[in-house]
Amino acid sequence: MDKDELVEYFRTQVRQDPEVPSAVAAIRTLLEFLKRDQTGETILGLRENLTQTIRRLEEADSSVAVSSGGELFLRFISLTSLEHPDLSQCKKVMVERGELFLKKISLSRSKVAKLCHTFIKDGAKILTHSSSRVVLKVLESAAADKKRFTVYVTESQPDSAGRQMADKLQNLNIPVTVVLDAAVGYIMEKVDLVIVGAEGVVESGGIINKIGTYQLAVCSKAHNKPFYVVAESFKFVRLYPLNQQDVPERFKYKADTLKAVEDLAEEHPMIDYTPPSLITLIFTDLGVLTPSAVSDELIKLYL
Amino acid sequence: MPGADKETDLTERIEAFLADLKRGGSGTGPLRGSGEMARETTYLLRRITAQARWSSAGDLMEIIRNEGRRMTAAQPSETTVGNMVRRVLKIIREEYARSRGSSEETEQQESLHKLLTAGELSEENFRQHFVHLKANVIEAINELLTELDGTTDNIAMQALEHIHSNEVIMTVGRSRTVEAFLKDAARKRKFHVIVAECAPFCQGHEMATGLSKVGIETTVIADAAIFAVMSRVNKVIIGTQTVLANGGLRAVNGTHSVALAARHHSTPLIICAPMFKLSPQVFTTIFYPFPGSFSYCLPVLREILSKVNVHCPVFDYVPPELITLFISNIGGNAPSYIYRLMSELYHPEDHKL
Repeated sequence: MDKDELVEYFRTQVRQDPEVPSAVAAIRTLLEFLKRDQTGETILGLRENLTQTIRRLEEADSSVAVSSGGELFLRFISLTSLEHPDLSQCKKVMVERGELFLKKISLSRSKVAKLCHTFIKDGAKILTHSSSRVVLKVLESAAADKKRFTVYVTESQPDSAGRQMADKLQNLNIPVTVVLDAAVGYIMEKVDLVIVGAEGVVESGGIINKIGTYQLAVCSKAHNKPFYVVAESFKFVRLYPLNQQDVPERFKYKADTLKAVEDLAEEHPMIDYTPPSLITLIFTDLGVLTPSAVSDELIKLYL
Repeated sequence: MPGADKETDLTERIEAFLADLKRGGSGTGPLRGSGEMARETTYLLRRITAQARWSSAGDLMEIIRNEGRRMTAAQPSETTVGNMVRRVLKIIREEYARSRGSSEETEQQESLHKLLTAGELSEENFRQHFVHLKANVIEAINELLTELDGTTDNIAMQALEHIHSNEVIMTVGRSRTVEAFLKDAARKRKFHVIVAECAPFCQGHEMATGLSKVGIETTVIADAAIFAVMSRVNKVIIGTQTVLANGGLRAVNGTHSVALAARHHSTPLIICAPMFKLSPQVFTTIFYPFPGSFSYCLPVLREILSKVNVHCPVFDYVPPELITLFISNIGGNAPSYIYRLMSELYHPEDHKL
């Protein structure tokens, strides 16, 4: 299966089901590659092919989620190949387990929503940032639970993703107001809690999310409001940024920008890093975690 | 018939326990310490294991879970009851896994690793019957009881590491654990203790009397004076009702103010809490007001009491950022480590009974 077919498969996945998380689409693509791959004769060769494929996918979609999905899949291969050194048997087991894994993680969003919606009290005012499908699911569960609450969404320039979120919330009959990104400090005294999604959860327990999240976190800390993050566990990524500059450039900008533009200093970054000290709790399908528990999970997996 | 007698005896005991729990909360029954509560609960759970009719681990867990739900519903503010039920459920899971011969680690926590390497969608339904399961579970519960008996001593043993000569220690209200802690240190060191009286029940007075009986220099202060005195204090050592899953506390009313005052003066805040107080709950804004009449708190207002709303919350939430150290029967830990201790004590499926 050549690289262009792969990228096309990935793009079709995302097009057909706009609800699917990009990491899941990436893992599905890699699993398809595994099934169709006839050229690999050794596990090392397989790994190399996969690494190249992942790089190609990252060129198509530069989000953190694709990168974390890819790394998770590589780790999955390594772990499975340790148990079954024979390639053909290993492949069979991998495909089986891969399907099972995909089935499990397709349930992650619902698990997260189940955990988080109990934190939304009747009459709560929630502030969220940009458009996150996990946050949408959480708010949906809370609304289904007959809770009354209002939502403020930041507009989130440059792509106005916040407006799409507001439309979706209105379709669920949840009272929603769109606020300017600059109005976060203004609105913070009114809100009771802040819930955001994450594109990636880093090893320190911090998150990488749409630009403007860091600002939101600093404001909520200043006003002593709880700042909750909802993310599925496959978004855990092995990065340890200490400040905004440490986040790799390939995540900061869209894939097309990276290819087209020479001097990135002129471009606006699409994501920022929020340190763990500003985060109250992280809701994942593995449970409710404090930021310090995240590195524990990653260590259990990768070491 | 002996079988039926045992059943009725068991149900009687359970009903008596539930009634006791309900009364304990209304202020008219004997106010028990959490240690005693934990012990009573564990005795009852051991009795249920021994006398109730069950054939597989799944049945036993269902019975205990049901009883646990009833007990926590009877007195929601008494979290040690729920904690002990969860400990016993974890014991049953471990013993079952051990009987089956599978290693315990793989069955336990959800983790990314488990997600990736699981072979089949393992639906562990605990249906297999093992002959020695009952005996093993009862033995493990007995071990748990021995641990419970030794908690206060284990905590008090660590006192000498934390209290030094000529230090000024502040404490709030009355905690049996802190009392034992300070008394143990007093055997070898000379230090001062300042006790905040903790209105309106002023349990600090009893604490001060208890401490001064063993020769510790004690001073009682009003709650309003806590901030003023804090600059002279070296350490604040307090007990708590519950330790929450995020490392925060649910402690007696006024503790948050003490914690903030300590943070302002950069004074370390040490919590002496045994492991059975660790609860998988996370902070939600539910406090359990102490039912009963408050008229005696405000004797002056007796005539106009019908026109006045008196709120007297019993508990306070203290966020984990204000806490320096937790001293428990297994040693000293940072608040950020509490999630790890919790994953060792309870199984995630039991968090919600």
